[in-house]
Amino acid sequence: MAPVDSAIASNLLTIGAERLALLGKHHKALMQGYLDGFVDETAFSEGALKKLIAARILWRPDEQQPLALRPLVSELIASMVADENRRQINADVAEKLEQIRNRVQAYRDAQYKGDYSVAELQLQRLTEQVHDLSGQFEEAIDSLWHRLNSDFGFVASLDDKIRENERAQKQLRRLLDGLDLLDFNELIELSEGNNHLRKLLVSQLQNQLSSHHSSLLEVQKRLVELLAKFRQQQARSMLINNMAAFLRQHPKYQPADYPNRTDVPALFNQAAIIKPHAAIALDKASERQILADLVRALPRTKATQLSETPAASFAQQWQDDAIAARQQALKTDVENFYLRVIDHGGKLSALDYLAQQQLEWDSEIWLYQIIAEYQALPLDEKQMFAIVRDEAPASSMNQLLLIRDISLGLKAA
Amino acid sequence: MLQHGPLLERLLAGEFICCITDEDAFRHLSVEQTQHDINHYLRPLNRRLVANEDNSVFFLGYHELTKDAREQLSGLFALTVQSLLPLLEWLQLVQETLGRDSALTAGDTIKLQEFILRTEDNQSLRQRLNQLASDRFFNSQSEQLDNQVKLIFRRLKEHGYLLQPHQERQYYIVTGKIDYLIDVIRFIRDEEHLPVDDTPTQEALI
Repeated sequence: MAPVDSAIASNLLTIGAERLALLGKHHKALMQGYLDGFVDETAFSEGALKKLIAARILWRPDEQQPLALRPLVSELIASMVADENRRQINADVAEKLEQIRNRVQAYRDAQYKGDYSVAELQLQRLTEQVHDLSGQFEEAIDSLWHRLNSDFGFVASLDDKIRENERAQKQLRRLLDGLDLLDFNELIELSEGNNHLRKLLVSQLQNQLSSHHSSLLEVQKRLVELLAKFRQQQARSMLINNMAAFLRQHPKYQPADYPNRTDVPALFNQAAIIKPHAAIALDKASERQILADLVRALPRTKATQLSETPAASFAQQWQDDAIAARQQALKTDVENFYLRVIDHGGKLSALDYLAQQQLEWDSEIWLYQIIAEYQALPLDEKQMFAIVRDEAPASSMNQLLLIRDISLGLKAA
Repeated sequence: MLQHGPLLERLLAGEFICCITDEDAFRHLSVEQTQHDINHYLRPLNRRLVANEDNSVFFLGYHELTKDAREQLSGLFALTVQSLLPLLEWLQLVQETLGRDSALTAGDTIKLQEFILRTEDNQSLRQRLNQLASDRFFNSQSEQLDNQVKLIFRRLKEHGYLLQPHQERQYYIVTGKIDYLIDVIRFIRDEEHLPVDDTPTQEALI
């Protein structure tokens, strides 16, 4: 039996090595096929295509479809490059468990028969399967952590991230269910009386699986936290967009007067600024020395002597008795006008008064003086008079207004 | 109290303290005993510590709401209400311009140059920015994109929404005051029953 086995093994070796070499030989085109979802058949020679198909690397899913990588090859690449979009998680434990049971049985049978080389081989296979089982969890956990640590950055939108997170949580639940299927009492029973089996199935596997279990729980906690964060971000974006839309639609919108409620909401209780100022204190004897040093360190400004220069005199008033007399006469007439207004009570036009009294003043000067007199009044007296200017625009070209007349009246006290 | 001197000064000057603006101070403020001490100290000034709902940002409020205090609060509230739309529009604009998948949160970094570059090439973004810059909250008189963006970011820095770690380097970090802004909006929404949703509908989830 052994020679046949070794023949098969050597046959497997050559075929396997050849086919693995195929992967290497066409690495670029195959990787492009992985990225595109189909392979470009023109990139290969006809012979190469045939070999790749025979090696179960490429296949044609449908007659109309282009050639593509077989799912297992895609999965291999996804796992190698940690491509979380395509990476598969295998949570199937029941099947592996069944295989382990069968292997243990075969191993025991071989031992019973005394066929030690077969028993050795079975134990070898069993070891592989146990590692497979553990590795399956390890791969899944690695993938989950990878996605978690990249904040699900391999998908673009927040909605996608939330969906991916939910998918990861489902996978995680399946993995945990799978772990639950492993019954250590059964494994202990299986390995009864055999040191190798006990070591493999009980101490080693149990160790690994319990560490996987705690990793998975940790990942689960983090996934839930991250999902909460995503949801919060989503809520925030929606709040911002919807509130902005609302405010745009209702430009006159005014919320209630919160600051004047009995209970002011804490959010709106934002006190006015107080800026603490400090000055040098002279009352502390101990600090005098420091202050003196500070003063001494001040850069000195040179006292510059200003030479005396004669200043232009503005005080000299230009006087002319005749003009002063006219000025006084105008003032008196204006005062009379004010007195008339007070006596009369009603409104009085300045120009009408000028004409009525047959005064000789130029109307412009007259109006000026009335305004000047009004401006010179103390504030409380000013308030007694109502001064109304009759104005008209100078031209349609600008905003200049000309005063035509002034009417003065007493304000109702 | 002496060790909290600089922190007190910042608080009195109207700053919002969060873990971005001052991590150490924020940690101190999160301790109940420190809060108590600071409140005790501020009592004669008629001030007290106030935090937002999830305690991510602290600022000073009045201890007793006197007439003057209420007047001041009214004025401030009017300003806050006025600033809501420009701030929300800015948040939207940044999110869209930088192609982010979520709204800005405390701790996010914005590079001014990147923002300008992306706005430059896009007519509609450019126009929205133009409009935003001339809003009276930002009040830009300039026609230049560069100046408008710089002014907007400077104003936001003055209002405490952004932090500029290096004076001469043009990048900004979003502070916890953004959380405060969101809290204010949520509060107004809830209080006035505004038709403003923040939970995705079932269709959006599927």
